[in-house]
Amino acid sequence: MRDLPGVRRLFHHEASPRRVEQEIDDEPRFHFDMTVADLIARGRTPDDARAEAARRFGDYGGTRQMLREIDRGRATQVRRATWISGVWQDARYALRGLRTRPGFAAIIILTLGLGIGANAAMFGIVDRLLLRPPSFLAHPERTHRLHMRRSFDGELSTTANTSYRRYLEIARQTTSFERMAAFFVTDFAIGRGDDARERKVALVSASYWPFFDIRPAHGRLFGPSEDDPAGGVPVAVLSHGYWQTQFGGAADVLGKTLQIGSVAYSIIGVAPEGFTGTDLSPVAFVPITIAGVDMWGDGARERLFSSYDMGWLEIIALRKPTVTVEQASVDASNAFRSSLLQQATEAQVRASQPTVIVGSIIRERGPQQGQSSKVAVWLVGVAAIVLLVACANVANLLLARALRRRREIAVRVALGVRRGRLVSQLLTESVVLAALGALAGLAIARWGGRLLGAAFLPDAEGLPLVDSRVLGFTLLATVLASVFTGLVPALQASRPEILEALKAGGREGGLHRSRTRTALLLFQCALSVVLLVGAGLFVRSLHNVQSLELGYDADRVLYVSTEMRGVRLPSEQMTALKRQLHERARALPGVESAARTMGVPFWQTIQLDIVVPGVDSAGRLGDFILNAVSPGYFETMGTRIIRGRAITEEDRAGAPRAMVVSEAMAGKLWPNQDAIGKCVKLNSDTMPCTTVVGIAQGIRRGSFERDDMLQYYIAIEQYSPRAGGLFVRTRDEAASNTENVRRELQVLMPGLAYVNVRPLAQILEPTIRSWRLGANLFALFGGLALLLAAIGLYGVLSHDVAQRTHEMGVRIALGAQMKEILQLVMERGVLLTGIAIAVGTVIAIAGSKFVAPLLFHVSPHDPATYAVVIVSLLVVSIAASTIPALRATRVDPNEALRAD
Amino acid sequence: MSDLELVQGTLDLLILKTLAWSPTHGYGVAQWIRERTRDDLQIEDGALYTALHRLERRALIEAEWGVSDNNRKAKYYRLTADGRKQLRAQTERWARYTRAVSAVLQPA
Repeated sequence: MRDLPGVRRLFHHEASPRRVEQEIDDEPRFHFDMTVADLIARGRTPDDARAEAARRFGDYGGTRQMLREIDRGRATQVRRATWISGVWQDARYALRGLRTRPGFAAIIILTLGLGIGANAAMFGIVDRLLLRPPSFLAHPERTHRLHMRRSFDGELSTTANTSYRRYLEIARQTTSFERMAAFFVTDFAIGRGDDARERKVALVSASYWPFFDIRPAHGRLFGPSEDDPAGGVPVAVLSHGYWQTQFGGAADVLGKTLQIGSVAYSIIGVAPEGFTGTDLSPVAFVPITIAGVDMWGDGARERLFSSYDMGWLEIIALRKPTVTVEQASVDASNAFRSSLLQQATEAQVRASQPTVIVGSIIRERGPQQGQSSKVAVWLVGVAAIVLLVACANVANLLLARALRRRREIAVRVALGVRRGRLVSQLLTESVVLAALGALAGLAIARWGGRLLGAAFLPDAEGLPLVDSRVLGFTLLATVLASVFTGLVPALQASRPEILEALKAGGREGGLHRSRTRTALLLFQCALSVVLLVGAGLFVRSLHNVQSLELGYDADRVLYVSTEMRGVRLPSEQMTALKRQLHERARALPGVESAARTMGVPFWQTIQLDIVVPGVDSAGRLGDFILNAVSPGYFETMGTRIIRGRAITEEDRAGAPRAMVVSEAMAGKLWPNQDAIGKCVKLNSDTMPCTTVVGIAQGIRRGSFERDDMLQYYIAIEQYSPRAGGLFVRTRDEAASNTENVRRELQVLMPGLAYVNVRPLAQILEPTIRSWRLGANLFALFGGLALLLAAIGLYGVLSHDVAQRTHEMGVRIALGAQMKEILQLVMERGVLLTGIAIAVGTVIAIAGSKFVAPLLFHVSPHDPATYAVVIVSLLVVSIAASTIPALRATRVDPNEALRAD
Repeated sequence: MSDLELVQGTLDLLILKTLAWSPTHGYGVAQWIRERTRDDLQIEDGALYTALHRLERRALIEAEWGVSDNNRKAKYYRLTADGRKQLRAQTERWARYTRAVSAVLQPA
């Protein structure tokens, strides 16, 4: 009996508050009566005896009050202890039950673990991307990022990047903000010589610091006198992490110098642990006016602070508490407009409808949300569905188990265990399972979170992805999961009619099928259809993106750029250095070819005005993108020359100027004519002709349809022999050669200068990242859901067969063929799946139009995708029904009938 | 009736000792102490009950309603295992205490 929780305590003395009240007077009354009787027996008169008894007792009212307090305290204590011991007993009972069926427990824990883990990991990502304001921010709700929006020829263009001068003017002419700051986060070379590495550095104005509630871990932050366009001081504040890894956390770091770019900064402080500024995780913070000049080059100093057309820095602003976002936006837009009036006429400014969007401090919540974070939001929904499917599956398994345990439950009901206790005991079992599942889930989230983090937050290094917020979320998910998985089975199993089961004897009711179980199964199968359709659409998108003919082959190409860091070489020496680099790169083992290049397609592009004789103002036909290249460029990039020739050794300085144009450009400028031999003048009409000598295949960036660029190539030796970097084509995959190429080329670099080598694919990757993420994760989650659905279907059918053993036995005894029995079971499996497919398809068709903007060249109602999903689900359902069906055919009629 | 006031905590010890003989109700405890001390100790019944309930809350004794010799409903107290342990420790302490005080008051 000890094994059945709830039964033992039935016989226990219960301490309820009502009882306390009642008994508080009984006890003293008994005492009083006894004393009086005793005194009378000793010869006192009744009155005298009563007076004596009262005297002996003392202060009755006071005592009574005291007793009541003590007893109430005890009652509470007892009830709490009872509750705790009940829960503990239930938990132990549940654990004991699970230990007897380890396989069952493992499936449930793993199922819930996958569901909870997927959610915890996705929550971690979305929390970082969209929910959590930067740490240490003093007033997150009033801190905004400013975005500037203008319309050009009817097309809206929004940017967060603006010039230093514009920043000052907007700051000066607005009254809605307490303060404003400018910042820019970029890669800078840190360190000297071979140790030099590109790391993220935050260029911030002195006004940046008051936005945060921080005290430096060491030293101090910088002020306005150090961040001054008229002459600041090169000082740096290190991030806590960089201080730890590069300086071993030594306190004497203050006063040391740190080479960042071409400037030696004096370290004046260390930011507190966990401080990342507004974005990413820079390793150091430096005054924007000092590092800005270094970044743009000394020659740009004047323009950097006085011109409007160098748009780079971003603005954050702290709105006054009394001002609404709308008012602040109007105020900032007015300031923007009057700043624009310095450059253009009133009519032009009005036509461009300038507005300032006072957006969230969280970038991904602003108007310039990235594609990846949109996918991330979708994946949160997907993860939630996976958890629902997992819960439905577990609920189904638990329900099956609860039905098998009907006899046990009926016995306990008969023994007088209250239904509430029974439900709470069954719920405890699912809480225990969910808690174990959550542990498994956290392990999965830790591991999966790292993968997801690398995918979604490639720039946030070393952030812990499982932190207290993720833990809190996991706890919530666990509670929901345990209620969802436990409540239905618990309520079902403890229904009063269960008692009938006891009377009905051993045999389970013949054709009894659980309607709840079937509904749960339909639910999870339908959700799997939805997920798989989503997965299919994303996989098709990715495939379409990848099979686009890009016009180059990024996988085997490295991009080598030179960073001079203030090393000044005369023109001839610079040209010589570039030629040496080219020669050495070509000669390296593992390198197929190399070529010099000024631009990188889609990443660093150069535009010049061009004048084409016979074509009226060519500029209105589109943006013509120039690249100056050396011989070998086209073979290195894998871009085909369609007609004519490529840029060759002949095209040296002094020789007639040569040009290769893209197919699209040739078609645009000289429709229905042969482009070869045509003349193009660069910059202005007075320049000599550059003659078209060849036509190259067009190039495009992965996804963007308008990207078939109007591209042309000229000889770098004829244009700017000292400029540009290198493309290097490797024999095998590019990334593995990165370090080798870097080391070999670095030896040629003078002084502080260094080479930076990275795979071209890595540079271009962000443009296709969102599809890759969507395809991989939808497929992963969809596959997970399919697996769970298969398990669920198998479970329900096995249960059915087990319940119909008797019926099958009778059928077989009456001469049913094996085929008929098989059909009987399989039909039901396929029928169930068919209904689920129909429901799921309807939901998917209705829902998929919302993902349409994230797809590429795939209709959200793509019939092929739906067909594949439906067929695969049917195949899975047949596979899942086969085992139970075969089991049904093996029913021994003798045994099945004897069981009666 | 004497005028000896009870030293703090002594009442608990007396109750535990009383219950160590056999379970009884509050009246029984009062009677027993009264007989043993021949009325030397002045204990108010109210204080006795307060002490009983406190001991019950501390789980040194436990209570159960039963029927008395004269067929009346009465609350019976009995020593728990913890109570027995406490009684042993407190008796020991009490002995040391009185020895020490006596040693000062009646030098050999």
